[in-house]
Amino acid sequence: MIRVENVKKAFGHTTVLDGVDLTIEPGEVVSILGSSGSGKSTLIRCINGLEKLNGGRIMVDEFDVSKPKELAEARKRSGTVFQLFNLYPHMTVLGNITLAPVEVLRRPRSEAEAMARGLLESVGLGGRADAYPAQLSGGQRQRVGICRALAMQPRYLLLDEVTSALDPEMTGEVLTILARLARDGTTMLFVTHEVEFARQISDRIVFLDKGRLLVDLPTKAFFAADGGMGQPRVAQFLSKMRKD
Amino acid sequence: MRFTDFTPFDLVLLAQGLGVNVALFLVTSLLGLVIGIGWAIVRYYHVPVLSELVAFVSELLKNSPVLVQLFLVFFGLPGLLHIRVTPVMAAAITLSANTAAFTYVIAVSAIESIGRDQIEAARVFGLSRWQVLRHVVLPQAAAFAVGPLVALLVNQLQVTSLISVIGVVDLTKIGNILNMRTLKPFIVWTAVGLLYYLASKLVAWLGSRFEKRLRAHSAWRGL
Amino acid sequence: MRLDLSVLLPHLGFLAQGAFLTAQACALALVGSVIMGAFVAIARTSSSARLQRTSLIYVDIFRNVPFIVQLFFFYYGLPEIGISIDAFTTGVIALSMAGGAYASDVIRAGILAIDQGIIEAAEVSGLSRRVIFTRIVLPIALRTSVRPLGSVLINMILTSSILSTITLNELTGSAQIVVSQTYRPFEVYVVLLVVYAILTYLVSLAIALLHRRLNRDMREAVA
Repeated sequence: MIRVENVKKAFGHTTVLDGVDLTIEPGEVVSILGSSGSGKSTLIRCINGLEKLNGGRIMVDEFDVSKPKELAEARKRSGTVFQLFNLYPHMTVLGNITLAPVEVLRRPRSEAEAMARGLLESVGLGGRADAYPAQLSGGQRQRVGICRALAMQPRYLLLDEVTSALDPEMTGEVLTILARLARDGTTMLFVTHEVEFARQISDRIVFLDKGRLLVDLPTKAFFAADGGMGQPRVAQFLSKMRKD
Repeated sequence: MRFTDFTPFDLVLLAQGLGVNVALFLVTSLLGLVIGIGWAIVRYYHVPVLSELVAFVSELLKNSPVLVQLFLVFFGLPGLLHIRVTPVMAAAITLSANTAAFTYVIAVSAIESIGRDQIEAARVFGLSRWQVLRHVVLPQAAAFAVGPLVALLVNQLQVTSLISVIGVVDLTKIGNILNMRTLKPFIVWTAVGLLYYLASKLVAWLGSRFEKRLRAHSAWRGL
Repeated sequence: MRLDLSVLLPHLGFLAQGAFLTAQACALALVGSVIMGAFVAIARTSSSARLQRTSLIYVDIFRNVPFIVQLFFFYYGLPEIGISIDAFTTGVIALSMAGGAYASDVIRAGILAIDQGIIEAAEVSGLSRRVIFTRIVLPIALRTSVRPLGSVLINMILTSSILSTITLNELTGSAQIVVSQTYRPFEVYVVLLVVYAILTYLVSLAIALLHRRLNRDMREAVA
């Protein structure tokens, strides 16, 4: 379980997260919606330890991410997929996926490579194991990014606007994979702009506005007129998204 | 007081040595800058044979050791041309040419950084190539080149230390003399190194002050 | 004015030996410089203010003191504190220390140019700082640094000529001996000049090739 307790984060004088509470149970698929600057990405970056908290606490299972030794354990349990892929450019696809399992989890190389190839097959990149990131399209790179995160067999998958840098066609191929992962029971925390996608696969939807959690409801309730839509900010946001 | 001890006069010797380096540095830098810029202007005008010659000589001087250039001028020229060359003359000739070669490269790069369209516009208005050079190219190229030129000069000050090898009594040579006499290499060479260091820092500082004044006075702020 | 290059023919073998010594010294010093440079670059980009200051001082000193003074410092100074090593090793050490200062600038720039996102991806997968540096930061930084490190190597080849002043018979030292035997300084030094220029040209070609090969996989594929 991931527990976000009264988390506060500021960059200089700007408050980005202002007392956010959130709980993610195993098996849940939760989407975080909100406009730019609402603090969505920062929240994920606090959970995986890329940003330090200014207040509050985040627990990943029994580990407190503010404590360095416990953060290392927490990071073994969560995998992150990035908006800009962030693949290692000097390594092959296979190298990218097997680096952490070999170095952190101390898996034997042959075992890690076998698993990596299996993951690549499942996302439709079976034949590209020896390619370099520069030779792949954006959608392919993101699929590799997903495999890299999954190779660690994480309990929680953190996805930070993973389709925002892709064109519609590539977005589709990535979302298909993510939908399958959600169906298979992976615990996932999405930050996304894809409202329709969030609606289809999420168990719960959370709305962040100016660093505050305004709404936290099961999907159906979120889109109901008397539930999430009752909140003026939510309605405003959703109508803007629909227009685009 | 023993012969092998240090005396206050040694400080005078060190200062004199440094003076030789600095004097040669100033003279050869001035000559080198002028010659190098002259070569760059030759290239700007695309003078038929000279442009290629100038480029070739510059490449040769840039890609060979200064020490060998010194040997060539000091040991080689007298035999070839049947003239007498003193160590100081050889040093002056070699270092000026060497500075010119690097200045040429910096100047060419600075001139080429000026957009072709500016030059074309000026020419279309009827300005002669010389006028374009003087009013459009040079002011901008100068601002662009000051940084690299200052770095070059700091390096050339270090290079003057090599004249000790052909017998000029500069700071390094004094260092050798003191080292032989006192047999205290750590003290001697640290002192020599410190003096060169301070001189280099002074040149760098003066250079950056000059650069700041140049930028403050010209409207050109760079791209 | 008589120019007769044939006097050099019987001495070509000897000169070749000298060239080989130069190559050896520079190859070893290159390795030393890159290692030294990598350590210093890491120190300069570290979060420890003490490490940053120390490494900045090291770079500052070795860039503002002439190489010949650094060389004499090691050559005459090391025996004083009980370290007796031969001229070749002393030369390699001096070249590595000086080269390391320049290499650290290059590698540091390479490290800073790495996309932050890549480091973040490595961090969140739980990789330790040591592994991130050795498997990700350094491999990428070194690949992008090949060209500027090539310049450091070329500079080192030219600077190695100064090793002749500590009785090392590398290329320049051997040439001096040939001059003393043939009494033809002009011919010998002219050839020497050209040999160095050709050597550096070949090295720059090799660097360009190496850069292309190492970065081949990281270049965007042209659709």
